[in-house]
This record gives sequence, structure tokens and C-alpha cells, in this order.
Amino acid sequence: MRLLQRSLRTLLLYSLILVVLSIPVSLFSIREILNEEVDENLDLHADQFLSHIKKFTYLDDLETDLEVLDQLSYNIHIRPSDGRLIPEHFETISVYDSAEHEYRPFRQWSSGVDIKGKSYILSIQMSLVDNDQLVLVISVVQTVLIVLLVAGLLFLNRSLSRKIWKPFYDTLTQLKAYELDKSKPIELEVTNIVEFDDLNKTVSLLTDRNRKVFLQQKEFIENASHELQTPLAIFLAKLDLLMQSPTLSEADSITLMELEDTAKRMSRLNKNLLLLSKIDNEQFVEKEEIEISTLMHELFNNLRPVAGLEGITIAFQAEELVLLCSKPLIEILLTNLFHNAIRHTTSNGRVIISFKERILTISNSGQPIQMTPEKMFERFSKENTSINSTGLGLAIVKKICDTCQYALNYRYEEGMHHFTVKF
Amino acid sequence: MKILIIEDEKELVKGMAQYLRQESYVCEVAYNVREAKEKILLFEYDCILLDISLPDGNGLQILEELKAANKSDGVIMITAKNSLDDRVKGLNLGADDYLSKPFYLPELSARVSAVIRRKKFDGNTKLVFREITVDLLGKTVMVNNQFVELTRKEYNLLIFLLSNKNRVVSKNAIAEHLSGDDAELLDKFDFIYSHIKNLKKKLTEAGAEDYVKTIYGLGYKFAA
Repeated sequence: MRLLQRSLRTLLLYSLILVVLSIPVSLFSIREILNEEVDENLDLHADQFLSHIKKFTYLDDLETDLEVLDQLSYNIHIRPSDGRLIPEHFETISVYDSAEHEYRPFRQWSSGVDIKGKSYILSIQMSLVDNDQLVLVISVVQTVLIVLLVAGLLFLNRSLSRKIWKPFYDTLTQLKAYELDKSKPIELEVTNIVEFDDLNKTVSLLTDRNRKVFLQQKEFIENASHELQTPLAIFLAKLDLLMQSPTLSEADSITLMELEDTAKRMSRLNKNLLLLSKIDNEQFVEKEEIEISTLMHELFNNLRPVAGLEGITIAFQAEELVLLCSKPLIEILLTNLFHNAIRHTTSNGRVIISFKERILTISNSGQPIQMTPEKMFERFSKENTSINSTGLGLAIVKKICDTCQYALNYRYEEGMHHFTVKF
Repeated sequence: MKILIIEDEKELVKGMAQYLRQESYVCEVAYNVREAKEKILLFEYDCILLDISLPDGNGLQILEELKAANKSDGVIMITAKNSLDDRVKGLNLGADDYLSKPFYLPELSARVSAVIRRKKFDGNTKLVFREITVDLLGKTVMVNNQFVELTRKEYNLLIFLLSNKNRVVSKNAIAEHLSGDDAELLDKFDFIYSHIKNLKKKLTEAGAEDYVKTIYGLGYKFAA
């Protein structure tokens, strides 16, 4: 749930309760006010009626006249008293409406009166607003109010969340898109709202610090690899010189070769580490159009005699495809995948390379691996500690695929490892 | 043949010079840009080995200097960075070759002799060792004036061994020279051995002496 929805929900609930409560309250108060007003009117009416009656002198037969009046008038009733003393009072009564065939509410003023020495009961009535109608009208008004309130709040909420929370969502979007290893730092606008500016400042500070540490680390790996090259060169040079000595024993020679193998392995490790940081540093941005099946064919031709020595057969089939990409990266990608397949194929195994519909599949026979495919693409993850492998080949493949946005996948099926790259 | 080594690592210089002197090259050394500039203006060299990163500047400055002075010394850039940028810049400034650290001394020696051959013997492109004659332009090999058919790898191997004659060359150095990046794979297979065997066979069958000696545990040596 969004933050504003949460507060909106509370607001709506409160308004709803208030509006519902207001229906009986307004009904009651309106009724009271109306009754009061009607009572005052009735009072006035009775007062005038009585004073007029008292002043009239031309009434011949008071009794008959008053009866006529009682019969003809709709809202004035005057009857001779039956002797009971009736005090002045107001009441609400229901009267049958013969025109509309229903009962209607009336307010009635009644009192015992004395007209020319005779006791009468006078009642004057006034129509009231129908209760049901009043309830209906008030309910309709309040319902319209509720609808307007809810619609208004929802609309305001939406435009508010768009306007007020815009900086927040901007920050969020940037954070989501933020990648530590991309060269672009995060850029946040000044919003003039204390909370957001505070948040942005903290976020910037945090990402900047992370970036700095990350860049330092990257630089360190690159520098370390560079700096190691020269001592390695000295080491190799000295070995080459030592090799020329005519007095070397056989045991010395073997030790010497082992040293050279080790130095070579170190140099390879170094070169691969450098390559990884170069890809990280986006030093392969120049792209050109390359027909990659030719490239694969060249590689295949180079490797076939090598693989043949171990009795490994390579089947090769490729469709032509022109790809806009960095040539060195593609070469490294293909070389590493091809080498990986051949290196991990046991004697007399087979390697199948097929490239069609933009998908390169490299399969080689071999035992299933113990580690997960994810782990396999990590740096320095090796199943067996063969001297040959630096443990970086597949990590480089992964890095290149990530950089160029090719989909890299691995599966093991029917005794064969399958690596696929979708260009 | 005079070679100038411009490199600040004294131990590396020592190793390079010692190896190259066995090929009877005369080696001089400059440890920084200042010394190097003095030397290239005063003397002519057949080949200059130029380290790109020097304590008082960039090796590319020296290339610019050479170009400005219209000198045609052969230059091999040596760098620890293996950066494409430097390579392109260097080759554009007139460098002849590029070698990244670490390298095998036999590789260095082969590159040096290739550069010197290209610079010095205009027209004369023949490499002769006793009864073996290699025509570098036509890429053909003759033993006692009879053509010997060699594969590209065998031909490259012969040139490599000839450039390092009388010195032991390790299998690793040969593998890297012949296959570059693929050398990594070759560890698994004794690929070099089959090339050497074929080369020896073809040369001896054509009537040459067996000059390729196997040095136990180390590699091979081309010697009379």
C-alpha cells in the first residue's frame, strides 16, 4: 500500500462516519427549527382569530356560524366544549389527506376558549414537511456530499502523490537503475523540501562513497596486475639465461621447467585479470561489423589439429551472421568457450559447435560438474586444480556476455555439457 | 649490430643484454627518457627496445623524437600495459613491433632479428645457416639448393630456432611463439614435439645435418 493511500483511507473513514452521523443530527435539528417556527405561526394565528372573533358584532347566530366555520375551514376547528378544561398546548398529529389518500403530519395548536360567554375548543392546524421526504432529501444531499468528498480526496491524493512525491520517486527510479560498476554517478535534483533534500543528500553520499571504494579497488587490481608484469618478465628472463648454462643437471633442468611453467601460469592469471578489469573499464567500446561465422571457422581450424592429438573430434557448423560488436571481445569470447570445451573433454571425446539463428551452442562430452552453473561462471572457481586453467576463462566469458547483453546459459544433458550464447 | 635498450628495470636490462650479446649484438642501455634522448641523437642503432613507462616520462616521447629527427632505427615497444591505445599510437609513430611483458628472451631475440633483417638487408632477404637457406620474402627453405616443403608452423619454428641458434629454447617459448593465445591449450597436448619431429625429419631427409638438439627437460637447441 502506498503511503498516501494509507492516510487517505483514514481520512475517508473519518469523513464517512461524520457524514453518516450528520444525517440524524440534521434531521432532528431541522425538525426542531421547523416545529418552533410553525408553533410561533400557530400562536399568532390563534391570537388573531380570537381577537377578530371577539370584535365581530355582526354574527347573528354565533353557534351556527362557528359550526359553519368549523365545517368549511380546512385548518381551523372550533367545537363546543364538553366541559373539560383544556389548557393551551401544541401537538403533532397525522391527518388523512383525502386528495392524496395518505396521512400527512400536521402541527396543531389547541386550547379551550371562551367566546361570548360560551366555552369552545379551538384547534388550528398547519401542515408540516413530510418526515420521509425530509429524510430522503437529507440523505440525497449527504450522499452527494460523500461522493464529492471521496472523488475530491482521491483526485487530490493522486495529483498530490504525483506532485509532492515526485522527487521521492525520482530518487527511487535513479536508485533502482543505479549500478555500481557503471561509470555514471547518481544525480539528484534539489527539491526545496527538507525531508527529500535530506534523503537525497544521504543517498548521494552513500553511493559516492561506495563508488569511490569500488573504483579504488578496480584501480588497485589493474595496477597490481601491471606492476607484476615487470618482475615476472625479469623472472622469465633469468630462467631463460639459466637454461643456457652447460652444467645443469637433469634434476635442475626439470626444476627449471617447473619454475617456468609456474611463471607462465602467473603471467596468464595476470593477463586475464587485466582483461577483466579492462572490460570493466569499458576499454572495448569501439564496435565494428563482423561476420562471426568466419571468425568461428578460423578458430575451429586452429584448434582441430590440437584436439586431434588427443583423439577429440570436433563437429562444426555455422550460419553466417554479421554482428555489430567489439572485435577483440568477440574473439576472446569465442576463444575462451572453444578452449574451455576442448580442455574439459577427455581423450577420444567429442565437441560439437553449432551456430544457427543467432544461437551458438558449444557442447562437449564429459562428466557432470559438481558445482552450480552460477558458481561455474564466478572467478577462480575450478572443479579440479589443473595447472592449465586460471579459473578465469568462464568468468571472462560471463563478463563479456553481460557487457554485450548476450544471453549465456549452461545445461548438462545426455553426458554432454552445453554452453549457449544468444547474440 | 647495435641495440639500445631503454628500460628502467636494471635486472631486466641485464637479462636482456646478456641474452642478446650471445647473438653477438652490441647492447647499450638507457635507464630513462633523458639518457635515451641523448643516445639516439648521438648514435645510430639497428634496433631500439623501448619500454613505454619510464620514470621521467613516456616512451612514446622518444618515438616522436626519432620521427622528428628523421631517424630510421628499428623500434620494438615493450610494455607492461598491453593496451591497444599505446600499441596503435606507437605503431603510428613509426615503431616496428610491440612486445608485452612478460616475454621469453628467445621471443625477444626473434623479434629483434626480424626487425634488423627488415631494416638492414633491403633486397637481401636470405637467412643462411650452413647448408640451409631460408628465403624470407618467398618463405621458402632450401637444403643444398633443394626446396624443402614445410608447413607454415614448421617454417615459423625454423625461423624462431635460427634466430636463437646455439641457445636453449624452452617448449613454452616455442608454444607461445607458434600459437600465441592458443598456447594455453597446448599444455595439455605435446603439440610442439610433433612439429619439431616433423621439421627434423624433413630437414634431415633433404640432406641437412640434424641441428635440432633435444635438451633433456628443458626444450630444444639449434646448433651445429
